[in-house]
Amino acid sequence: MKLFPDDLLYSWEHVWVRVDGDLGTIGITDHAQEKLGEILSVDLPEIDSYVEKDEPFGSIESAKAVVELISPVSGVIVSVNEDITDDIGIINSDPHDTGWMIIVEMDDLEELDDLLDTRGYQDFVIREAEVD
Amino acid sequence: MAIDEAVFRATIREKGLPTLRLYGWQTPALSIGYFQDFTREVDSGACRRLGIDMIRRPTGGKAVLHDQELTYAVIAGTDLPFFPPDVLGTFRTVSRCVAKGLRELGIRAEMKAEGRSDEDGSLHSSCFSRPSRYELLVGGRKICGAAQMRSQGAFLQHGALLMAFDPAKTCRVVLPHGDGEEQVERLRNAVTSVGEQAGSPIGEETLCRALRSGFEQVLGIRLVEGVLTLEEEELKGELMKKKYGSESWNMEGSKSWMSAF
Repeated sequence: MKLFPDDLLYSWEHVWVRVDGDLGTIGITDHAQEKLGEILSVDLPEIDSYVEKDEPFGSIESAKAVVELISPVSGVIVSVNEDITDDIGIINSDPHDTGWMIIVEMDDLEELDDLLDTRGYQDFVIREAEVD
Repeated sequence: MAIDEAVFRATIREKGLPTLRLYGWQTPALSIGYFQDFTREVDSGACRRLGIDMIRRPTGGKAVLHDQELTYAVIAGTDLPFFPPDVLGTFRTVSRCVAKGLRELGIRAEMKAEGRSDEDGSLHSSCFSRPSRYELLVGGRKICGAAQMRSQGAFLQHGALLMAFDPAKTCRVVLPHGDGEEQVERLRNAVTSVGEQAGSPIGEETLCRALRSGFEQVLGIRLVEGVLTLEEEELKGELMKKKYGSESWNMEGSKSWMSAF
């Protein structure tokens, strides 16, 4: 059964944000990891690098496809999850918690208005499945 | 590679029609997948001695020696009706197109139905050491490798179709070097080529015409030759300068190119 935690905001690119003041913790959704299958490799940016809303911030490889990770917000990266390097499987097994990827100090909180709440994201996932 | 990615980035922005690009290699080159490690998976010294260029693809997968080989790039939006929206569905459809093209040359290629079979551990860095699901086999031997990149509603799929195959050369440039002749023989048994299956060498133009026909028939479309748009030319230039022409991307996979867009 897919997970849709209600303390998150979601993007159309299947990336979630957990907001804490002006900090946004970012990862891929349970729906995304399920569609990707076993994640084999991940490429994340370095601390202090800048990410832009709707632009790639990293990549994931599974089943011979490299999939770009698209940032839902803009800002400076203040933390990168080092645990993923030791155990990449946590992205598949626990995508919304220990499988987080980066923390961004967001420079425009209004960008969060473009994201989906839990219900909106669930509806989006259902619509996508109907097209599939 | 720069052209392929330029068309891919433009497709993301403009949501235009799909593109099929077919090209050969003036000089042999070894391309590795996005996440591969040149230092551990390629004998760079052997490549230099043999005059083989080394590049990193934007797509996934393993090392491919582009020598007597035709590369295809399929670029399309995932919302178009021509291809299924998922990774494996896309692989399956493109393989059908390529198989149809090979059929015109009298070659019966079949898709591998299951996931990756047990690999030859000594050749794990090479794309052709083992087939993945929906890749094409002839008589159980791999004839075409493929790998994808996906982003923001579009995909770029690379494919390497072997016109002839030299297993000894591949074994010389891919690490780890195994047990000499036995490794070469194992690779020879696992891989075939268009020339071997057709019984005589097939020219690049003939193969291109066959592949084009395969795509047109399977997808029910008519392909029209075109040129890069102004936007694609500019993107190509940026990508050549900051990514594919740089040692930091090709040899290390550095992401400094990300500012190219």
